[in-house]
Amino acid sequence: MVDKKKSNDVRKKQIVNNKEEKEIKDVKEIKEKNNSSNNIILSIKNASYRYSDAEEDDYALKDVSFEFESGKIYAIRGRSGTGKTTLLSLISGLEKCTEGEIIFDGKSLKDMNLDKYRNSDIGIVFQSYNLLPFMTASENIILSMDANGLKIKNKKEKAIELMEKVGLKEVYANRKVLRLSGGEQQRVAIARSLSYNPKMIIADEPTGNLDKQTETEILDIFKKLAHEENKCVIIVTHSSNVCDTVDVVYDLKNVKEK
Amino acid sequence: MFILKNAWISIKRNKGRNILIGIIILIIACACTITLAIKNTAVDLINSYESAYDKEVTISFDRANMMKDFDSSGAEGRENARERFDNIESFSISDVNSFAESEYIESYYYTYSIGLNGSNIEKAEIESNNNMPNFGHGKENNMTTTDFTVTGYSSLDAMSEFINGTYTMNEITDNAWDIAFDGNYVFINEELASYNDLSLNDKIKLEDAAGKTYEFEIIGIFKENEDGTDEPMSMFSNSANTLVTNASAISNITENNSNLKATIEPTFIINSYDNVEKLQAEFYEKGLDENFILQTNEELALSGVASIQNINSFATTFLTLTLVIGGIVLLVINMINIRERKYEIGVLRTIGISKFKLTMQFVFELVIVAFVALILGAGIGAVSSKGISNSLLESEINNSNERYEEIDKNFGGAGMPNRGNKGEMRGKGMPVVQAYDSIDAVVDIKVLLELLGIGLSLVLISSIASMVSIERFSPLTILKERS
Repeated sequence: MVDKKKSNDVRKKQIVNNKEEKEIKDVKEIKEKNNSSNNIILSIKNASYRYSDAEEDDYALKDVSFEFESGKIYAIRGRSGTGKTTLLSLISGLEKCTEGEIIFDGKSLKDMNLDKYRNSDIGIVFQSYNLLPFMTASENIILSMDANGLKIKNKKEKAIELMEKVGLKEVYANRKVLRLSGGEQQRVAIARSLSYNPKMIIADEPTGNLDKQTETEILDIFKKLAHEENKCVIIVTHSSNVCDTVDVVYDLKNVKEK
Repeated sequence: MFILKNAWISIKRNKGRNILIGIIILIIACACTITLAIKNTAVDLINSYESAYDKEVTISFDRANMMKDFDSSGAEGRENARERFDNIESFSISDVNSFAESEYIESYYYTYSIGLNGSNIEKAEIESNNNMPNFGHGKENNMTTTDFTVTGYSSLDAMSEFINGTYTMNEITDNAWDIAFDGNYVFINEELASYNDLSLNDKIKLEDAAGKTYEFEIIGIFKENEDGTDEPMSMFSNSANTLVTNASAISNITENNSNLKATIEPTFIINSYDNVEKLQAEFYEKGLDENFILQTNEELALSGVASIQNINSFATTFLTLTLVIGGIVLLVINMINIRERKYEIGVLRTIGISKFKLTMQFVFELVIVAFVALILGAGIGAVSSKGISNSLLESEINNSNERYEEIDKNFGGAGMPNRGNKGEMRGKGMPVVQAYDSIDAVVDIKVLLELLGIGLSLVLISSIASMVSIERFSPLTILKERS
């Protein structure tokens, strides 16, 4: 009986060691990739947007060109009315460019099924979380997996795993989201956006409703996602704290590399 | 699959609203089950009653059309009318055969009548000694000037007087029906037989105006069952001087005698009363004079199920109203539902659920609620349909009888006067004896399928609100509004 327990412990240690080795290897690969200049996941080429009822030269967004690489965290900064949210809606495929184009992973969004794009390739995180209040935290995450058509045996287990990844304990899984704090809800929203392992996370003022400490914690999660999981994270923000944290800041008026 | 799961979660979440929708659909389903059961059973009863009658069409003279421009003032006006009347083209047997070649006609028969005088027999008649006034009920054609009316039937079906029991055969030769429709054989009235001391197998001779004689052998003696006569002072029945033979015998006589005026009365059995107008147009194209019109026996055929027809009409109106009102109520509730769930739609669209899947989720929600409500509604409807339908029929029959009694009272309360042809007065809206005094409205598979069809249609119609909204809503705008 004792021998059996020992052998199990040894096997567990081996598994842990193997896992650690694999994680170290993965991080190395990610760092190598980060150094590559051909790591562009999204490029915006001369994108302009005009509302359908606007006058001919009244653009909400005019002639914007940015490039985003995997493994980096970006901030898009701009004063009110510069078209930050419009740009975010174009990147997330909720609106289509009036002029110019957006290329994701080598394909123009114009040629893509945007529903599929939203439920597979990108994850969106909003300032006001946009969770379904009548569902529990785990149900919100599972819904996103369902929308993606993810076929895994135990979706709830996976949801709990994701919640733990963003710093939420298992106990929150069965709680209705309205019973969670703002920071906790935003973590659930991030977990939801990660549920189908997208290549890119787009966040619209994700820390706008949160206190400083929670903001830092949330930004840490994003940094990890970019630097350890090679995801491209784009944050639309006003916050100077966010801009200080990210790798690249794009100003909608004055684009500059940090 | 997740669409169904979401639909179910949503139903459980919005219990109040879904119970309200369920109650509305339950009421609609219940009303539809009862009305459909009544309607279907009524239609079956009407059809079965109707099928007991052949759908007959006869050619009649259109008096209304003739009288339209009739100017009776002065000799000139009367002369014009006479000329116009004389110019009306009659139709022949070959015309009737040509008319019968129509896709709307299943079969046909005709009677063919001429007037002949007796050569070796005498007309059954006892002249009154006093000069009683003539009430003018004599026939209008040339037959009134001859002793006998010889009527030829084209087939057994044509012998309507024997079929409806006006005449019954008293005596008949063994082979009568083998030879009755080919050759100079006649059936005579027992009064004429008695008057002339005639019996089976006797031969009688008739002659036309030109003096040409025709010999017929008696193969049957019939009696007329109806009391009364067109001649008020006659002791003989109407058919006493009617000789019944076959149409080909009459054809043979008229073929060689163009002066002999014959009357053809064709009856066409049609496949549907709905085709009568088309058939009439076809007859006109084939040469029927436009002063003739087609008349059907539809009124007579349906007179016994008038109450059931009324209930059928009532059920149809009620069903239509229920569906229209129910449909509108469901549509409005669904529109409110969609507005309340705008945020949910925005979130689901943002996480990449397609418009189609989202619409399907809303449709499924309604389908699940509707399905449960339809089953309950069908059950309640099935239990109550028989009682309600019979109560409606009873009330309808009572109403008819009250109307009848009221009119009867106007005539002195001694029963309805029987003037002229039977049914003449009843045709003015009084009920005949109803064929059915109960209507067992059953909920069968047909009713259930119709109910299912109605339910699905209602669900789809009321889902239009969600379809339009999901198509129109911009997820970003919804979420911005919420923020």
